[in-house]
Formats: sequence, structure tokens, C-alpha cells
Amino acid sequence: MGNYSSRPNRKITKHDRAILDMKLQRDTLQQYQRRIQVILDREREIARQCLERGDKERALLALRKRKYKVQLLSKTDSQLETLERLTQSIEFALVEKDVLFGLQQGSQVLKEINREMSMDKVERLLDESADGIAYQNEVSQMLADSITNAEEAEIEEELEAMRREELVKTIPTAPETELPQAQPEAAEEEAEPEEEAEEPARQASKARNRAEPLLA
Amino acid sequence: MSTLTSPTSSSTPSTSFPFPSIYSFPPFFTRQPNSQTWTSQLSLWSSLILAYCRYNRIWRIDLNTAIEWDLFNNRDINRSLKLETCREILDSMVKNGDAEWVSGSGSNPSKNTSAIIYWRRPEEWANIIADWIDSTGQKNAILTLYEIAEGDLSYSQDFRGIDPTILRKALDVLIRRGQAQIMKSADGEEAGVKFFGSQ
Repeated sequence: MGNYSSRPNRKITKHDRAILDMKLQRDTLQQYQRRIQVILDREREIARQCLERGDKERALLALRKRKYKVQLLSKTDSQLETLERLTQSIEFALVEKDVLFGLQQGSQVLKEINREMSMDKVERLLDESADGIAYQNEVSQMLADSITNAEEAEIEEELEAMRREELVKTIPTAPETELPQAQPEAAEEEAEPEEEAEEPARQASKARNRAEPLLA
Repeated sequence: MSTLTSPTSSSTPSTSFPFPSIYSFPPFFTRQPNSQTWTSQLSLWSSLILAYCRYNRIWRIDLNTAIEWDLFNNRDINRSLKLETCREILDSMVKNGDAEWVSGSGSNPSKNTSAIIYWRRPEEWANIIADWIDSTGQKNAILTLYEIAEGDLSYSQDFRGIDPTILRKALDVLIRRGQAQIMKSADGEEAGVKFFGSQ
């Protein structure tokens, strides 16, 4: 119940006083009831004692008195009930008042907040943000357009170059140690073709020799 | 509210209280001449009186009637405390804040016969009542002093039937803390109290 603490000073209002008065009345009634209850018990005792002594008249009188007091007791009971109901309704009304106060406070705050967010403001804000978004789109459009086809090609070329570099990097790593062994073989292989190359020449010369007699 | 007197204060309390072993020690009932012994005897007596009053929920002791109680009379060992010794013990308890003489008719302090026994100090009572107000949702409620001591809601509470003087002192503590305010009835008597939430 936050609104209690924000009350300027803790004062006793006239409502409080009224409640106190009623509660005091209730206390008085309760005390009265207690007293009557004691008397009731006492009178029953008196009646019994009178009966024991054989004094029927006295016993009857005591019981009659007692009956009257019992009626009083039930009357005070109903009075007490009325009083308590009234006190409770006042207390409940006070609670309701506080609730109402809280509701008022709340709706006031809500109103103030709503005033701060007026329709014009919201519209303007939405317009502004729409403008901002449009501008942003324009900027990105411009940036996209500024890259020409030539530049695009250059970019492609750069990508190709990078790929090649990658290839170059991967190829030479494989034969590093085997290369020296492979060299002699490679030399023989290289030599053979020379012999083979000579052979056709020889055959050619032979053939020429064979052909010469024919010619001759 | 002078009409309120707790029912236990005048009648003889029940004898079911479990007395400590010192209670069966005959010299305990005689004022010891040695001052050191007397000091320890005093503290033993005062804690016994506090425990006894707490057990029997006695708020006030009237020396003239209390001197007959089993508290000051051990019939098993046929020993009883003298009135002067009892008064001395209570004097010492008053000095320690465990009791308070109720200023009677005379201004002469030696004629005091009635004392409030604080088996709980007013500050403790204040805390207990404040907790009770809290737990029963009675903040900002108006209660009569009678209601606190005898009402339906306080039925099982420790302060049930609390002596009006002690209650008033406990409420004073709460008032000083800003947690309560005394209300006067139409005829100017302090009759009610309004409780506030603690700050």
C-alpha cells in the first residue's frame, strides 16, 4: 500500500476517531457481558443454595432474575453485532476510499503519459523514421551503383590472382626430397630420344644407300 | 484504564511451576550477611521471580499478598522469605530494570508494596506487538487498548491480558519509533492507538 507512506503526515482523522469511539463502545459492551456472565453464574449458585435450604421462593426469584439477565445478554449480543458490523463497514469504506484514490492516481498518470505521446507527435515521429529509412536506402543504392563493370572485372581478376597464388603455394611442396633421385633417370630418358633420333637418320641413310644402287 | 486488572495478579498462582533446585536450599530463604553471597542470592532470586511471573503470566506483584505465594514459601522445607528481604530483592530488581514500583498512596518509597515485573522489557513487548500488528494486517487500524489486551485477535498472543501500564510503556516505544499514535476517547482518556507501518 504505497500511498500510505506518501501521506504528508500520519494524522488521526475524524474517521479514525469515529472508529475508535465505536470500538470503545464495543469494549464497554463486552465488559458488560462479562460482568453479566459472572452475575448469571452467581445467581444460579444462589438458586441452588436456596433450593438446598428448601427456600423455593428465593430460588425461583434468583432464577427469574437470572432469566432477565439472560435476555439482557442476548440484547447486548445483538447490539454488539450491529456495532461491529458498522465498524467493519466503515473500515471497509475507508479501504475502498484508498482504492479509489489509487485508481485516480493511476488514471491521472496514464493521462499524463498519453498526453506526452500525442497523435501528432507519433505521426511526426513515424514520418521522420520513414524519411530516415528512405535516405538509408538511397545511400546504399548509390554505393551499389558506384561500382562499375570495369571495377567488377578488376575484382574478378584479383580473385583469380589470389586463387593462383594459392595454387602456387600448394604445388611445390610435394617432390622436395625425391627430386635428386629422379634426375639420373630423367637424364637417360633424355639421352634415349637422341639415339632414337639418330636411328631414323641412319635408316634414312641406309635407305638412301639402298636406293642408290637402284638408282644406279 | 484503571478498570483493567489482570485476573492473575490478585489470585494465588498455580503451583505447577517447576522450581529450580536452589528453591529447596534452606539458606536461600534467609538474607545472607556476606555481601558477596547476598549479591549472588539477589540475582538468583530475581531470575526465579522473573521465571515464575513469566510462567504464571503475572504482571504485578503486590508484596502483601505475594508473600503468601509458594514462590516465597517452600512448605516442603518449612522456609519462607521475610517481607523486608522480599522488598530488598524487588528494590534490586527495580535497580536492574526488571521491575518497577507502582507509586502508591504515599511518597515514602519504603511503603511501596506493588511492583510491575518486567519478565519482558517494554522494548520486547513493543516488538512483539509490532510483529503481531504486521502479521495480522492491522496496519493503519485503530485498536483500543482493551482490544489489544483482551480482544479476539490477541487471544493466543503472549501479551494477552497485559498490564495496562506495561502496554502503555510498550506503546510509548512504538510511538517514539513513529509506528503508533495514542488516541484519546471523548472523555479525554487514553483509550486507543493507531498503528502505522514501519518506515
